[in-house]
Amino acid sequence: MNVLRCLVCLLLAFGLCACETVEPWERGALAKREMQWAPDAMEISLQAQINASKEASSGGMGAAGGGCGCN
Amino acid sequence: MSRRGSDKSSALLALTSSALLLPAYQGARADAPPEFMEAGMRYSKYEEDNTQGKKTFGGSSQRYDIDAAQFHLLAPVADNWAFALDVQWEDMSGASPWFVGESASGEPKVIMSGASIEDTRTEVSVTTRYYYDRGNAGVNYVRSDEDDYDSNALALDGAFNSSDGLTTYGGALSFSADDIEPTQGSVPTNTLKNDKDISSAWIGVSRIISTRSLLRFGLSFTYRDGFLTDPYKLNDNRPDERKEWTISTGYRHFFDAPNAALHADYRYFDDDWGVGSHTLDLAWYQNLGDLTQLIPYARYYSQGQADFFGNLVDLSDRYYSQDYRLSSFGAITVGLRLRQELGNWVVNLSGERYRTDESWGVYNGDESPALVDYWRYSFGLDYIFR
Repeated sequence: MNVLRCLVCLLLAFGLCACETVEPWERGALAKREMQWAPDAMEISLQAQINASKEASSGGMGAAGGGCGCN
Repeated sequence: MSRRGSDKSSALLALTSSALLLPAYQGARADAPPEFMEAGMRYSKYEEDNTQGKKTFGGSSQRYDIDAAQFHLLAPVADNWAFALDVQWEDMSGASPWFVGESASGEPKVIMSGASIEDTRTEVSVTTRYYYDRGNAGVNYVRSDEDDYDSNALALDGAFNSSDGLTTYGGALSFSADDIEPTQGSVPTNTLKNDKDISSAWIGVSRIISTRSLLRFGLSFTYRDGFLTDPYKLNDNRPDERKEWTISTGYRHFFDAPNAALHADYRYFDDDWGVGSHTLDLAWYQNLGDLTQLIPYARYYSQGQADFFGNLVDLSDRYYSQDYRLSSFGAITVGLRLRQELGNWVVNLSGERYRTDESWGVYNGDESPALVDYWRYSFGLDYIFR
C-alpha cells in the first residue's frame, strides 16, 4: 500500500513537471558532466556496494546484478 | 589545449543529438559511443570503528578494515560500439558480530567473531554497448570471486529516446547465480556449501523539464531465491526467498550564478521480510574555475527491522536473526570529494564518514548493540586518451 501511494505521488509529480519544451540548442547546461546522473561511476558503484553490505536494502539504480559475501 | 577541446566538445554535444539523450542510468551522451578511450583507477581505504565496550562482551573489539582498488577502461570500438572493462580487488581483515547475548543486567551485548577473518575478493566486469540513433543497448557480465563466495551475473539493458529528445525510457534485466562455501575456522557455520539465485528487473524514465533541470523516476523488482541466511552468524535462520521493490526518483539542477549543480535522489524500498527504508542523497557539484570541482554530499538512510529480527531470539521460531543489518536504525553519511583536471589527467580525492543510531530512524524497533560506523578515504586518477 505504501509502495502504491509513493508510486502515485511520484507519477503525479513527474507528469506535472513534464510540460516545458526545451529546444536542442537550449540544452548546453544539461550536457555538462556535473549534470549526469552518475558523473563518477567507480565512486557510485563502490558506495552502493558498501551500503548494500551494511544495510538491509539495496537497488534502485538499475537491475540488481550479482551478490557478494560482503558482511 | 585540453580545456578548449573539452569546451568544444560540450558545445558540440549541446547542439547534436548526443546531448538529447538522458537515460536514467547514464548521462547526457547515450546515443553516441565515447569520443576517446578513458582509463581510471581508485584506491579506497575503509575502516570500521571499534565496537563500543559497553555493548560488547569482553570489551571494545576491532571490526573490518578493507583496502579496495578499482580499475576502469572505456573504449570506443568502430562507429557505434563501446567496450568497458572494470576490475575491483578487495582485501579485508578484522572481526564481525557473531551473536548477541544478554548481560547480567539484562542488556543485549554483542559477541564478536574474533579478529581472525581474512578474505580477498576479485570482481571482473565486461560490458559491450551498441549505440543507435535514439538510444543504446548493452550486455554486461560480472564475475566475483572470494575465498567463500562466487557469483556470476549477466545483465541486459537498453534506453530509448522520444522523438523530441525530451524523454528517455530505459529498462534492465539481470540474472545471477551465486555459490556459498563458508571458510571453516574457529566459528561454526550455518552451512558447508549452498547457493542462491538473484533475478532483477528495472524500468526508468528521465525527462528534461527545463533548460537547467532533469528529473527521473524508476521502479525495480528483485527476487532472491536460495540460501539467504548469513553463514557465519550463530543465531540466524532466514526465509529461502525474498522479494524486493524499489521506487526511486532523482533531480538535477544547474545554477548559473554559483556555477554549480544540485543532485537530489530519493529511494523507497520495501520487501516481504518486513523491511522498509527511505534513502535521501544530496550533493552539490561546485565548479571552482574551469578545472576544479568541490563536491560536498550527504545521505540520510532509515530502515525498519525485518519481521524475524530480535536482539534476543527464540530458536524455536521458524525464522530468526540477530544481524544488526536487519534491525531498525538510521544512518547519516557526510562526505567531500575534490576533482582536479590536469591536462588529460584527472585527480580525485574523497573522504566520508558514516554513522548509525537507532534513534535517528523513522521506524521503531530494538536497538542492536552491533550497529556499525565507518570512515572511508579514496584517491583516484583518470586519464583521457585525446
